[in-house]
Amino acid sequence: MHIEPLAGEQIHDAELLELIRRCEALGVPDALFPRVLARVPDYAKALLRALVVSHAEGNVDHRLKEIIRVRLARTAGDPYFAGLRSARALTAGLDEKTIEAGAGRFEDDPRFTAAEKWALRYAREMYFNPEKIDAAFYAEGKKHFTEAQIMELGAFIAFHYGMQAFTRTLGVRPLPKKGG
Amino acid sequence: MALDPDKIDSAFYDALRQHYSEEEIVELGAFIGFNIGYHTFFGKLKFYPMFAPDGRLVSQEESARIYGAVPGSLAAPQVTRHV
Repeated sequence: MHIEPLAGEQIHDAELLELIRRCEALGVPDALFPRVLARVPDYAKALLRALVVSHAEGNVDHRLKEIIRVRLARTAGDPYFAGLRSARALTAGLDEKTIEAGAGRFEDDPRFTAAEKWALRYAREMYFNPEKIDAAFYAEGKKHFTEAQIMELGAFIAFHYGMQAFTRTLGVRPLPKKGG
Repeated sequence: MALDPDKIDSAFYDALRQHYSEEEIVELGAFIGFNIGYHTFFGKLKFYPMFAPDGRLVSQEESARIYGAVPGSLAAPQVTRHV
């Protein structure tokens, strides 16, 4: 780990502590990345709020966003975010087989709807083949999602991929699960 | 970070610490990551700056003529990484 996280007793900002608690409850991120970010408290609060809100709020299925998030982490080569799982998504029924399918060759997989496949393509092409995201691609997306949902997905993809690019370079790994 | 993240190793961080505090390194890393993520997304939305370099409010068509049809960030080599 190239930048050490702050210890819990070194963090005194109540708003930041509440955000870290919220992250830990969701499971994405765990407490490690927030405590690295906590070295810059104002950044930490803005970034953690954006991570949690973009992932766990809005009007796109949280399970779909969790699959996309894992797929993006693998694209970024980031074992930290790739190794974390949303407790809420798992509680809602998302399993590892579906995550693996969504992070792999999903195009012909019958477990995904046409809408879900478009969202997975959006995440895949954004950083592998951005030239494929053209007017026709957005027109196809509008058959399945509202413009607000497409912005929600795009902002979610961009933000999480960006943070994964950063955490890859920190050399961090998920914390051991409590009791595990 | 965007094109060759394997180069950002312990020696790279040691070199950074000669110039920046740990807090500044976290600040830089998060800022760079944010921009890596968002530039491609913004580039694919086909919108352009509202203002010309001389400060005039311009239409999207004129802005596209001024700033180019393809954002420079999209002309960079594409990532091809997997865990």
